[in-house]
Amino acid sequence: MRYDDPELRRRLAAEYVIGTMPSRARRRFERLTAADRALADLVADWETRFAPLDDTTLPAAPPVRVWRAVEQRIAGSVAPPAAAGWLASLRFWRAATGFAVAAGAALAVYVALAPAPPVPLVVAILSDHSGTPEWIALTGPRRGEVSIAALGPLADSTGHAFQLWAVAGGPPRALGLLAPKRGHPLLIAAAALPPSGATLAVSREPPGGSPTGKPTGPVLYQGKVLIPVR
Amino acid sequence: MPDQAAHLQDMVRRTALGDRAAFAALYAQTSAKLFGVALRISVRREIAEEVLQESFVAVWRRAGDYDPAQGAVLAWLVTIVRRCAIDQLRHQQSRPDGHRADEAAANALTARDRSDSGAELRALQRCLDELEPRPRQAVLLAYLYGLTREELAARLTVPVGTVKSWIRRSLDRLQRCLDP
Repeated sequence: MRYDDPELRRRLAAEYVIGTMPSRARRRFERLTAADRALADLVADWETRFAPLDDTTLPAAPPVRVWRAVEQRIAGSVAPPAAAGWLASLRFWRAATGFAVAAGAALAVYVALAPAPPVPLVVAILSDHSGTPEWIALTGPRRGEVSIAALGPLADSTGHAFQLWAVAGGPPRALGLLAPKRGHPLLIAAAALPPSGATLAVSREPPGGSPTGKPTGPVLYQGKVLIPVR
Repeated sequence: MPDQAAHLQDMVRRTALGDRAAFAALYAQTSAKLFGVALRISVRREIAEEVLQESFVAVWRRAGDYDPAQGAVLAWLVTIVRRCAIDQLRHQQSRPDGHRADEAAANALTARDRSDSGAELRALQRCLDELEPRPRQAVLLAYLYGLTREELAARLTVPVGTVKSWIRRSLDRLQRCLDP
């Protein structure tokens, strides 16, 4: 088949996007687009043309096991840019020393022996009423600890406090005050967390936290504890 | 956060740097929409779950490939899920129970009452309306539910050759209509 006919290229891109290209042709076409930027652009154009149809599909919440599986598969891996940087510096370092092989081997042994840093697991994601996640609870940094931090700057964060509560049956239990800035996590003992399936909620309180020991302001964010942590 | 689209872009940018919290937030915010798309094409829940899983593992690995100039994050994610779902279907070869594609829903997309849809959808609907009814149905069933040419032929009770020429002509006409 000739792939330099513009009419044919457009048609193939369209058939690829709507999915009617047979299996083998589909794989061949994918190899072509990987090497041919202009062809990939034709595909992107068709994807854009049809994309509005996807907005008509109702959302459906996937079961938590899907996220678990994703988390497990990426555990211990680093995203490609970081990996590439590491490899590049290793190559540079090897090339720069006169003992390329020995140094490389010594480093490899060191890397193999160094304990893998514990991978933080997502304990809970707290979202606002529109479903936008604003806080995340992760295991660590030390064993037995959980850190809760803002995912980004909050729109309205001055003049009041954000107080975290455990909600599991009974009255809410105060867990601490959250800092509405990235990089300033609240650390709590994992033992203080409510059990898996219970709710973490954040209420707006006067500076310094609720004067009564119970939430006095509106609940702004909440999310479920996704995994048991100890 | 004031701007949802900018927020998602930030999540993808941070995911590309290996930020797991940002990746988790991206999942939390988009997975329901994407699972809806996966379910629509895959129909069987366990397969849709697998498609969603594969898609997000791909997002983790290829977040650095996302180019904001090429469109919104959500559209990019939908593309990944669609490709994954269709690859999965083609891999299965056949669907034992056939595809319970909802023709009524597909037809409703070109119905007259569309006050709630956005400008892009209205433009696409207008161009779809200009197609003959059965070729239009073939295009919609293919895009929305991933039906193959053979499945379309069986569904619409015409030879495969007819399906091929319907689709070819419909796509040519759609292109002319959408980019005059």
